[in-house]
Amino acid sequence: MSAAEAQTVPPSHLRFRRPFRPIEALRQLYHARELIRTLAERELRVRYKQAILGLAWAFITPLALTLVFSVFIRRLAAIDTGDAPYQVFAYLGLLPWTFFSTSVSVGGQSLVQNIPLLNRVYCPREVFPLASVMVAGFDMLVALVPFGALLIIYGFVPKVTSYWVPVLLVVQVIFSLAVALLVSAIVVYLRDLRHALPILLQLGLFATPVAYGLDVVPVSLQPLYVMLNPLGAVIDGYRRVVLYGLPPDWGLVLPAAVSALLMLAVGYYLFKRMETGFADVA
Amino acid sequence: MPEGVVRTEHLWKRFRADRRRMLLRDELQRVGARLRGRGGRGWRWALRDVNVMAQPGEAIGLIGSNGSGKTTLLKILSRVMYPYAGTAVAGGRVGALLEVRAGIHPDLTGRENVFVTGSLLGLRRKEVAQRFDEIVSFAELEDAIDRQVKFFSSGMQMRLGFAVAAFLEPDVLLVDEALAVGDATFQQKCLDRMRVVLSQGTTLFFVSHDFAAVEATCERGIWLRQGEIEADGPIRDILGAYRQSIEEAAEADYRVEGLVRLLKAEASGVGGGPRTQEAFEIRTVVESSEPRAGRIFLGISEGPAMPIFVLRRDVQLNGETAVRCSIPRLPLPRGRYYVWAGIYDAPGRELLPWHPITHFDVVGPDLDAAPPATARLAPIHVDATWDVSSL
Repeated sequence: MSAAEAQTVPPSHLRFRRPFRPIEALRQLYHARELIRTLAERELRVRYKQAILGLAWAFITPLALTLVFSVFIRRLAAIDTGDAPYQVFAYLGLLPWTFFSTSVSVGGQSLVQNIPLLNRVYCPREVFPLASVMVAGFDMLVALVPFGALLIIYGFVPKVTSYWVPVLLVVQVIFSLAVALLVSAIVVYLRDLRHALPILLQLGLFATPVAYGLDVVPVSLQPLYVMLNPLGAVIDGYRRVVLYGLPPDWGLVLPAAVSALLMLAVGYYLFKRMETGFADVA
Repeated sequence: MPEGVVRTEHLWKRFRADRRRMLLRDELQRVGARLRGRGGRGWRWALRDVNVMAQPGEAIGLIGSNGSGKTTLLKILSRVMYPYAGTAVAGGRVGALLEVRAGIHPDLTGRENVFVTGSLLGLRRKEVAQRFDEIVSFAELEDAIDRQVKFFSSGMQMRLGFAVAAFLEPDVLLVDEALAVGDATFQQKCLDRMRVVLSQGTTLFFVSHDFAAVEATCERGIWLRQGEIEADGPIRDILGAYRQSIEEAAEADYRVEGLVRLLKAEASGVGGGPRTQEAFEIRTVVESSEPRAGRIFLGISEGPAMPIFVLRRDVQLNGETAVRCSIPRLPLPRGRYYVWAGIYDAPGRELLPWHPITHFDVVGPDLDAAPPATARLAPIHVDATWDVSSL
């Protein structure tokens, strides 16, 4: 390297690499908790104030899909739902799916939508997808109301084993967060991908046992499947504990949980790596 | 890193030279071009090997032309951006006003923005609440604070942004050119507030093209030129050097087209000099192809374009006309000055546009320095005698 060149490029040992310090990152995230809460609150207030149907939007999608599934899918394929009514079976699958899908579609775009902020104020960038996941969580709570109505209409009583639900919920949140984080960061660099997002989510809906049961996947492949798609184990788990009075299938839930955690760790790491360039392209 | 200390070491930052759209489609095209061996490098260096060390309580004015890297440096210090190479650290809480549209989020109300910013800086809710009234009254937003920030005017946004940055007890305060949107009264208020914050030990980085404001606020100047530190030192020296470079660039750039031409321009002292309070003259020769009545203006400036004083005279031009302007006692202290000239006809039309024609260096006493936090408008040497006696 000539002397002139040495002055126009920094020597490689000076290259800046932000070390990945998860503890430090989480500490800063903790400082940002108020921002996350305020963002989520604001988003919800806007959402439910502006729409005429208000809160109803949170359950119109799962209800409509339940209707579509029960009219069409059930006609095409025989689906074994045990002694539970198909509508309850499908709606119970749609609850976590809608949570996931809202997290990814809203959270995935949360950074691009806040582009002007990315290059002028400092905050840990993960607050935006995190706030979206919180909003999705609130939506899911609202969507529980019609689920109760469905239970009453069909006279179906949830089984006692429902106390396992929180465990499954944790896996569901971890997986959704992992995907939302990763998608939001990638979309900053490849903005046209967000147009592909609805299509991918649509495909995901059919690749996940929502309209049907996990039993369509051959038993030997099920552990591998739930590691790729932890939501499969979560939905199957909900059905077992709420509808059939069985404990979760740990042979599936454990691999799914491990895989979801791994995805979150990798997703967060990649997010933090990509974060250093957000302001440059914003 | 102790609070208030700011340090950058071998700081480099680059951006894509082309404005990228950040689409997968473009990205694929770029990869394709590179595979065919036509990939341009396309990087532009915004900062090159920048080393800055600032102690708590220091006030630093960043100057330089547009695109010289001032804002990039502030963005890296505020952790909005990350360096390409080298390190940058600002110790403690960093309050920043980087753009006019300040505040964390336009969809949040002014109140929410204040609290959220405070919490991001690591302040407790109670601590923010204690300062809340002060912030609102400083920003003069009593009526608007519960409105969403996106409905604020740009002046209101700037006021809120500055008040939040300056009142939440930052250890380092970064202020970009944004202040310029405020009206004159508010700008003055901001400058006063910056001095208060400085006296509390906060380190200030201030970017502005308002030299008087920079000089009044900062004691140290850093001049960035094309991403490199051109000079770092006492603010007066740095501003002087910067002004000089602007003038020289302007002088070299001017290819003046007019109905009349200037054939000669000289400025010198009479019998040596130029010296303070001694005779000085400017000699020009003007050429006009036809007889014309004109009015010639001569100006002396220190900075760009804004003259310290102007002299004018009506002249009859025909062929080559020598115009000499004598100043028996030159009222300028030591320094470099620029002579500007322009010729206009009676209705005020340009015969020769206003432009710098030459420069000169004055030998003489230095200008007395102004008290802290005060800027003088233009350098004038005034002969004075003092008489101090105890009574």
